[in-house]
Amino acid sequence: MNHLPIEARDVGKNFGLSPVLRGVTLKVDEGEGAIVFGSNGSGKSTLVRILAGLSSASAGEALLFGRPARKLQPHDRLRIGLLTHQSFLYPRLTARENLEFYAGLYRIDGTISINELLKRTGLASVADECVSRFSRGMEQRLTLARAIIARPDVLLMDEPLAALDTEGVELAMGLIEEALGRGCATVVTAHERFQFGRFDFTSYALIHGRLRPAQGDLRTEATERSPAAG
Amino acid sequence: MGIKAAHWLGVVTLAIMTAAIFMVFVYVPTEAQQGNVQRIFYFHVPCAWAAFAAFALVAISGVFYLWFGHQVWDDLGCAAAEVGMLFCTLVLITGSIWAKPIWGTWWTWDSRLTTTLVLWLLYAGYLTLRAMADEVSQVGRLAAVVGIVAAADVPVIIVSVRLWRTIHPAVIVTRQGSHGLEDPRMIATLLVSLAAFTVLSAWLLMLRFATLRAAARLTNLGRQLALTEAEMADRSAQHVMSSRR
Amino acid sequence: MSGFTTILRKDLRLELRSGESTITLVFLSLLILTVLTFALNAPGGDAATAAGALWVAMIFAGTMGATRALIAEWENGCIRGLLLSPAERSAIYCAKLVASFVFMAVAELAAMVLMVLFYNLDFGIRLVRLSPILAMGALGFAALATLLATIQVRIRGGDLLLPLLIVPVFVPALIAGVKASNAALAGLRFDAFAQWLKILAACDILFLAGGYLLFEHVISED
Repeated sequence: MNHLPIEARDVGKNFGLSPVLRGVTLKVDEGEGAIVFGSNGSGKSTLVRILAGLSSASAGEALLFGRPARKLQPHDRLRIGLLTHQSFLYPRLTARENLEFYAGLYRIDGTISINELLKRTGLASVADECVSRFSRGMEQRLTLARAIIARPDVLLMDEPLAALDTEGVELAMGLIEEALGRGCATVVTAHERFQFGRFDFTSYALIHGRLRPAQGDLRTEATERSPAAG
Repeated sequence: MGIKAAHWLGVVTLAIMTAAIFMVFVYVPTEAQQGNVQRIFYFHVPCAWAAFAAFALVAISGVFYLWFGHQVWDDLGCAAAEVGMLFCTLVLITGSIWAKPIWGTWWTWDSRLTTTLVLWLLYAGYLTLRAMADEVSQVGRLAAVVGIVAAADVPVIIVSVRLWRTIHPAVIVTRQGSHGLEDPRMIATLLVSLAAFTVLSAWLLMLRFATLRAAARLTNLGRQLALTEAEMADRSAQHVMSSRR
Repeated sequence: MSGFTTILRKDLRLELRSGESTITLVFLSLLILTVLTFALNAPGGDAATAAGALWVAMIFAGTMGATRALIAEWENGCIRGLLLSPAERSAIYCAKLVASFVFMAVAELAAMVLMVLFYNLDFGIRLVRLSPILAMGALGFAALATLLATIQVRIRGGDLLLPLLIVPVFVPALIAGVKASNAALAGLRFDAFAQWLKILAACDILFLAGGYLLFEHVISED
């Protein structure tokens, strides 16, 4: 039986007493993508962390490849790529060294793939500079490179286009497109839809902790409204 | 844990403790060498027993909490630590009260008292962790790990402190001698006192545990309430939207 | 253990570049030794004070410096990157433990040299006998510190709490370590203080086993 790469079943999450996520259900198959809209504080980042297995759900469960995300075995963790607001980059290492580190962790044999990635994210010229000297946009590009370095089968990205300039956005799109082409299941969160318009993503809106399919005014509502207090 | 069970245990505690107090102050003969002060021994030793047993319970609850994840075990560990700390403090205080008239000093570095002091520090660390980490959601797991490592450490502490004291000829002779109880009445009194303190600590543990469990239930209710409120807000929002169309 | 070498190599490389942890530990140790010399009024050849001072320096410099190897991972959320990766939690623990141990060992070496100068001792066989004792102490301390380091980041005021937790647990190692160090500095041979070495070894095994088995419970988020 083929398991869905990404699945959330009735996921709920409490921070203290307040429910940040309620009954979130989501299914993403191979080569498919989902885009989740929500304003700041709506719980998008929390959802992405739960899907990745970094946080536990207070109710329901998040599954990757049919297995609980929280208890993934190393050989499954090889197949996951995650991008969040935090870059997971070491400021005192160079771009190349950062990628080499993650290549080592993900058991990739790859000076070639690292050079390739650096080129494709437009960072080849600064490959040997310390990340602490990077601008936010350059850091984001490197974070993207880090997330996909292992050619993951599951890609979870929390606002992947943040701080990227036009060229950066194009490069990012190219990488995501290639990942989708490979059959990678993708979940992306965003403020705006238009940048992802070229992909056939299923749209959702995270409003007050509930995940709803987004059409028409729901989407506008999600990005315009501020989250409920507490 | 029913209120009734706690009440019954409280009554039993009162009964045995009354018997113990009677035996300690009236029944048991005065010890030849140390006089009446020696009676504190019958409180000192059971307190020590309670303090160490409680710590073992902290560690065991910790293991179960890490294994099963149910909040119950975390609450048990927390309650055990608080009760244990109480008795550990009493051991040190009674030890001090005993030492002063006999040896003229408030504190002796004899192996048993020193080990209890280290245990007290372990308790203090554990409870401070719980107090400071209260709003952190993983406090239970952190506390469990600390409890387990500390409890596993206790045997090593006992051995090392004992060795430490015997290598240096003690300035103050250890109380080992005075634990030789000749009169059978002394043994009886000690046993009754042990029973009394065991039941007392069990009762206090039960009370504290019940409080923590009630707090956990309250939190759950609070969460359910918040959930219901959110769902009601959902429904009124939907109502507004459909009436707009 | 998957990931151990990768992580350790990265940590050592970072440390070679900045020297942050090691330099902090070295200077802290030297500072504490100096303060103790003044406070105990003890310049001059008292071997007993020397051993005690070394261990005090180890412990207090350690509570501040030994956790840095792990704490550094919170910058930019790198710890999440590690937890997400195929690296095993025990590999993360061991890599951080070894890194901390290396930093502490360097600091101990510096402290030992300074101690010889301050207390007018001789370089020689006694120091050779002293070194493994200090190494065992540093290993046990690093094991404890790495296990409990998350307390420093996760809890407000955690850096004050950490010594309160580590030091009582470390007491048996401290007792045994100082006794063994005293004996070594007095020129005794290993069999004379073998029982202290056994206790020190028991502590190390306990702390290492505890850390190895329990680390996963403290490192993952909720």
